[in-house]
Amino acid sequence: MKIVLKRLAVQTRKDKELVDITDVVSEVVRESGVKEGVVLVVTMHTSSGIIVTEGLPCLERDVLNHLGRLAPPDADYYHNRFLDIDGRLGFNADAHLKSILGGIYAIFPIHEGQIIKGSRQRIYFAEYDGPLEREYCIQVMGV
Amino acid sequence: MRIDFHTHPLLVREMWTKYPELEDVARNVFFIRNRSQPLETFFLELDVAGLDKAVLLPIDARTSRGTTIFSNEQIAELCRCSSRFVGFASVDPHAPNALEILVYAVKELGLRGLKLSPPTQEFYPNDAKLMYPIYKEAEALGIPVVFHTGISWEPKARLKYSLPLLLEDVAADFPGLKIVLAHFGWPWVLDAVALALKYPNVYLDTACLYFGNPKEFIAFVMTKQIPLSVIEKSLRHQVVFGSDYPRVEIKNMARAVREVGLSEETLELIFSINPLKVLGEV
Repeated sequence: MKIVLKRLAVQTRKDKELVDITDVVSEVVRESGVKEGVVLVVTMHTSSGIIVTEGLPCLERDVLNHLGRLAPPDADYYHNRFLDIDGRLGFNADAHLKSILGGIYAIFPIHEGQIIKGSRQRIYFAEYDGPLEREYCIQVMGV
Repeated sequence: MRIDFHTHPLLVREMWTKYPELEDVARNVFFIRNRSQPLETFFLELDVAGLDKAVLLPIDARTSRGTTIFSNEQIAELCRCSSRFVGFASVDPHAPNALEILVYAVKELGLRGLKLSPPTQEFYPNDAKLMYPIYKEAEALGIPVVFHTGISWEPKARLKYSLPLLLEDVAADFPGLKIVLAHFGWPWVLDAVALALKYPNVYLDTACLYFGNPKEFIAFVMTKQIPLSVIEKSLRHQVVFGSDYPRVEIKNMARAVREVGLSEETLELIFSINPLKVLGEV
């Protein structure tokens, strides 16, 4: 059994955006040498996420717009208050809620050294409160 | 040219790497706990907010806190990295060589204004004996002075030093000195507005957020605490945009000010013309 963990940074460039990390995940799987197993991708932040959808710009916009309708930025959130743990106000409740709604991880099987996924499935790092340098983990487990 | 007149480079990772003590300053003196970010994030924040430049503000609190919250030299170093930064100086009012430090910061380091935080540096801004020589020098150098006014999140900071009305003597006695009351003087907004109405050398920056979110707080300050028409009709030439980044993201404060209901002409003044005027560029 082999377990490989990679911590990676991604610099997001917009307030909200989906960054396609599929090729990065594939490369980590290839480098790991694992032939049969699973790969886990997880974000390290509660105001970002990991999303899987079809790799089309129109869908990327639809995903973000839909999450925006479910968790609008200007709604009346209890989180809009001073947080002494941060030394600032927490007025990004919408980003936290989008993270919950969209999810924070993705798992795919590995077979014969390749990620097994649908031909149109792409893995995205989802930024809900950028621009920021973010961190996510890829863990490959198997033999 | 759109400018954020109130930012602190507290979380710039490249500076933490070079000067490790800056992390402790950010955490335990300035009291901000977010993780550091590469310098690129700062520029992207400006881009997302639709702004071109940011004024970088240090605080020299060596007597009251035993440290600078960024030194003048560190601010100048950042400014050399990018033309998008406009650096201000700070001097410790209690330091015997404060005037020399100020002159050096402006003439040798190229810094463009003076930042003073009375609650952090523990002085009364109308203390003529302590402060008037500094104001006189700033006036002679032709630089503006940004004063922290209103509430401070720093646990050791006392509000008695940050009442806007303490600046009236300064505004009256130094009519040639451009004075910026940071944070709109909140919660003493009426006092700050009164000074700006009375003294044409007094400016207000918008960097205020103490509850709620930027959009509802700016709307509260500018439409409930005072009528928006006061800004639109009387103070449109004396308000500058400020975010207080990284306590507040520039994008969020910029959106809050843009959506509060001011005319396009006034927004252009607040984001562009007024900051340039305070900096002496127009």
